[in-house]
Amino acid sequence: MPPDDPIALLSVRGLRVSYGGAPAVDGVDLDIATGEIVGLTGESGSGKSALGLALLGLTRAPGRILDGTVVLDGTDLLSLGESALRKRRGRDIGLIVQNPRASLSPLHPVGEQIGATLRAHRPMTQASAHQRAVGLLRTLGLNDPERRAHAYPHEISGGMAQRVLIAMALGSGPRLLVADEPTSGLDVTIQAQFLDDMWRSAREAGSAVLLITQDLGIIANYCDRVLVLQAGRIVGNAPTRAFFAAPADAYSRTVLALRHEAPPEPIADAEAPLLKVQDLSKIFPLRRERKTLQAVDHVSFTIRRGETLGLVGESGSGKTTVGRALLRLVEPDGGGVIFDGRSVTEASPTELRRLRRRMQVVFQDPFDALDPRWSVAEILAEGLEASAGPGRIAELLNLVDLPPDTAKRRPGALSAGAQQRVSIARAIAVEPALIVLDEPTSALTPLARVGVIRLLRDLQARLGMSYLFISHDLSTVEHLSHRVAVMYLGQIVELGTRAQIFGAPLHPYSKALLAAHLTPDPSHRRVDRAVVEALSGEIPSPIDLPRGCYLAGRCPVAQPACWETPQALVPVADGRLVRCAPAAERHRRFAA
Amino acid sequence: MSRFIARRLLIALFQLLGLVLLVFFAMRILPADPVARLVGMNATRDAYLASQHALGLDRPIWVQLGSYLGVLPGSHGLLEGDLGTSWVSGSSVASELRHRLPVTIELISISFVLAFLISVPLGMLCAIRPGGVADSATFAYSLFAGSQPVFWWGLLFIYIFFGQLGWAPPPLGRLNPMSTPPPFVTGFISVDSLLAENMGAFWDGLHHLMLPVATQAFVLTGPIIKMVRQNMVRVLGADYVLYARASGLAPSRIAGVALKNALAPALTLLGVLYGYILGGAVLIETVFSLPGIGQYAVQSVLDFDYPAIEGVVLVIAAISLFVYLALDVVHAVLDPRLAA
Amino acid sequence: MSEALEFAGAGTGGDARARFRQPMPDLLFRLGLGVVMLSMVLMLIGPWLAPYDIGRPSEEIGQPPPALAAVPGLLVDVVTGETHPSIHWFGTDDSGLDVFSRVLAAPRTDVVIAVGANVVSLVLGSLLGLLGGAGRPWMAGLVMRVSDLVQAFPVFITGMILVTLAGRSNTTIILTLALLYTPIYVRLTRAEVLTQRQRGFVDAARALGKSEAAIALRHVLPNALAPSLIQASVTIGFAILLTAGLSFVGAGVRPPTPEWGLMIAAGADQMVQGEWWPSLFPGLAISLTVFGYAAFGNGLERRYAA
Repeated sequence: MPPDDPIALLSVRGLRVSYGGAPAVDGVDLDIATGEIVGLTGESGSGKSALGLALLGLTRAPGRILDGTVVLDGTDLLSLGESALRKRRGRDIGLIVQNPRASLSPLHPVGEQIGATLRAHRPMTQASAHQRAVGLLRTLGLNDPERRAHAYPHEISGGMAQRVLIAMALGSGPRLLVADEPTSGLDVTIQAQFLDDMWRSAREAGSAVLLITQDLGIIANYCDRVLVLQAGRIVGNAPTRAFFAAPADAYSRTVLALRHEAPPEPIADAEAPLLKVQDLSKIFPLRRERKTLQAVDHVSFTIRRGETLGLVGESGSGKTTVGRALLRLVEPDGGGVIFDGRSVTEASPTELRRLRRRMQVVFQDPFDALDPRWSVAEILAEGLEASAGPGRIAELLNLVDLPPDTAKRRPGALSAGAQQRVSIARAIAVEPALIVLDEPTSALTPLARVGVIRLLRDLQARLGMSYLFISHDLSTVEHLSHRVAVMYLGQIVELGTRAQIFGAPLHPYSKALLAAHLTPDPSHRRVDRAVVEALSGEIPSPIDLPRGCYLAGRCPVAQPACWETPQALVPVADGRLVRCAPAAERHRRFAA
Repeated sequence: MSRFIARRLLIALFQLLGLVLLVFFAMRILPADPVARLVGMNATRDAYLASQHALGLDRPIWVQLGSYLGVLPGSHGLLEGDLGTSWVSGSSVASELRHRLPVTIELISISFVLAFLISVPLGMLCAIRPGGVADSATFAYSLFAGSQPVFWWGLLFIYIFFGQLGWAPPPLGRLNPMSTPPPFVTGFISVDSLLAENMGAFWDGLHHLMLPVATQAFVLTGPIIKMVRQNMVRVLGADYVLYARASGLAPSRIAGVALKNALAPALTLLGVLYGYILGGAVLIETVFSLPGIGQYAVQSVLDFDYPAIEGVVLVIAAISLFVYLALDVVHAVLDPRLAA
Repeated sequence: MSEALEFAGAGTGGDARARFRQPMPDLLFRLGLGVVMLSMVLMLIGPWLAPYDIGRPSEEIGQPPPALAAVPGLLVDVVTGETHPSIHWFGTDDSGLDVFSRVLAAPRTDVVIAVGANVVSLVLGSLLGLLGGAGRPWMAGLVMRVSDLVQAFPVFITGMILVTLAGRSNTTIILTLALLYTPIYVRLTRAEVLTQRQRGFVDAARALGKSEAAIALRHVLPNALAPSLIQASVTIGFAILLTAGLSFVGAGVRPPTPEWGLMIAAGADQMVQGEWWPSLFPGLAISLTVFGYAAFGNGLERRYAA
């Protein structure tokens, strides 16, 4: 839809919002037509959230809306008095924000909170508001909505909390919904379920949506039009297809640049593997109850020299614990780790310390991984021999593309991207043969993420290390990995080459994961195809697992036998491993 | 919830028992000689020994403990609720505490309520514009009030309001010596005088409470304002308040939600504060000559009156733990995350 | 392109934090710093700055301080070296002792006790807290239970009992306060040790082959100490209050030591009768000193948190 549509539902002109200093939103004009779903993207700090809130006449302290008009359905909201504006909020214009649980009062049941919102806009009794709240939760696909309505926010999952917010935001049938990063922090499959529900609800109610997100994959899959914000100004405005064909602004071009770069070539099967993991297991005892949590369940894989193995999975899959157990940062309860021909699991404390130096780790939260009281030079020197001089530190900084004067600074003064580069430099300082990369890009902005992915690929080509790349983000895994292992509830369910897993996943869980993955490509929109691979429900608690296949309860193709028979990881014809007898059987018939 | 309460009660009981034992042994290990203090420096050796025997201090320490706890045959002790007999006055410690305790409880409870009523709106005022002029000034005030010597402010108030202005009565007890005190029922002057329908004593009692309460409340506002402000700033900056506004909720409902979230965690701190003030009430009682438990504690300590000392420590610790526990339970009722 | 934007992004983050800095707390912090430094100076050389002998009474008994209007003139006299019979800036008490001299000399008692008690409890508490956070489970449990028990004692009354029965001297007061304050530092250190042990840089140091002892010493303890050091500033202030309070009720320092609490107690009766100065000035000294320590600690906390 053209932006200057004469029948715009929302029309913003010259909107400016300031937080004391420079304006966060600096003269924004935008229009949204009835029923249109518009994506708003941009770098962190570009003013996206401030703009979203300002559409409701709100700012976070100490912000102030300086001037501009926000005309919704013919009325300028910003010229209304506080009480008139309050009547419109939640009734004509709804909001969903990131971190849904923090958006609910922790001391009030969620049903009561939905009811209070409903009652704010339409006179009704407490009882009927409660009934309507339960009904809303039911239409949003929560099982047992009656019980959920009495739950407190800490008793429900993040995905459910986000549905509660939707119930509050859409309860009064607003004409416009502002959704600010509604899925940040949710698992991939839950994110897809949620966005599907939101998309459907909005389309059915004829509500327009302003979807604010840094994730261009979400925009490609759900939005009709894209706006790009930079330093508080709109720098891009195009229909989704046109935008992804040729982004007009530099920011989007950089973030999308990796699309056209070829992923790494497969590694030839050479001599003995660098790392051999056999039946690695880890069980955590639970303090309150007398139960245990099997975080890692007989995991086996190998990594060759110069190879990257991607380890993907959602929360609770045990992927992080695998990475830590390799260096015995958590002590494994069973299985063996052979690194370069020597057993890590049986090494003496002294030998272990020597072995660890050849297997480094880079963590998810770069700030947490650097001692805040140390300078960058001191941090980098920690692993070096005393004889190594300042020349080596300059060399390391140069390797990770940081300016030399970074050496004098403390981690707190660096951006997250630069902190992560320091972490990487510390890891390569001891010239390791293997680096465990534990979600190294998850805490970074899209821009910093692109830089770190390039850097990691570049370092591998120059220094020839192997990586274990742990991530829930399939795009980064695809950009870096030679082979990929998919984990679910402590087990590897499928292990194959990147092309095998991303091209034609076999295991129902891998299929669902890939189907839920939102690629920044509007020609394969999730909403355009019937998704048959979708899993029902949420990831079960890893404490009480079924006897048979762990996926049985959610699997669309589960057979009665699956509930009772534990599944084994078996090889199929093309060389990959799959933990699903029916899928392996189908693949065999298909190949024959 | 009942399991939560039972667990906390059990822990509190064990703490009280540990407390009693520690005080018991500390008093007998420390180099103090209560017998010498009692019989005087010039007493003969025989008088000394007789007194030592009368107090039971010539027995082995385990026998003394057994008799104190009341586990020895024929002895009445702590486990039956008998706090023993004062070595100095010869009367029962329990009955003395029964008369002393209400004086202190009345004083600090009224001060607490008053300080709370003053602090909550001030703390909220701060939170409306954090960093603003009102916030900065109130914050500086709370830091100041929270670090003041309460006994000195008592004297200062006496100098100003009694000595110079003549608004307050002389700092010599709970009632004017001329007025007839109401019969002892609860021990709280305000309650007993109302029960006796003695309005003269009621107003006189409040008049005498005016300065000590003002002093104590002034010092108390410091920590309470700081706490309310901190919680309120956190809550008003929380996403759920912003979200409630975005949902178009009425300001009264938002205020209710914010207040509940801000005050619930403050309860635990109030409990700690109450115990702290109860233990330190001796200072204000000394200044205003109030015959409360604090004065009794000082006198017992200076007289080396061991049974009285044990009784005071036990009663104060028990009340502190009970108040703390009660407020903690209320907190857990308000915040379901705690009992989980 | 990407790098430039990335670093630019970091800049705005820092600015946003800077904008929230408040001018008022900064003023308080400086005031606190000044008070802390002054108290330290007086603790070291206070008695030697006193213009009169702190123990020998003069002829003037119960002499009020000079009227405010006369002060500038007297100051000029002092600066120009004009000899003057006897100026008692804060007056004299009912035995003829110079209040000003004794207020200056008192930190030698009050601040020494407060600082001494906190040094002892800080060292003891940090070590026990390290044990409570990183020691073997039974050891950690024992440390925490004992710490809970000590914390359940009513502070003032326990202080009174221990000091009186152990014999009233500076050393017993220091040791008693140290005992009462140790649980505060145990709790703080333990909580911080538990957090710091989970930090990524600890695991990173393990991956670099560092030994557990080296990590505890170089990473965990230094990062875990900060909250205790900040707390110490506030607790020193409260220790001064407690010391003065104990002396005020007669269960602390023995007279005639120059000590703020004792001086207030000695002047209390005169205060009721209208002679305000013997109690007013030592009280002002406590009031300002404790406030200064609290403001200093609060400022430190804010700076550390930012």
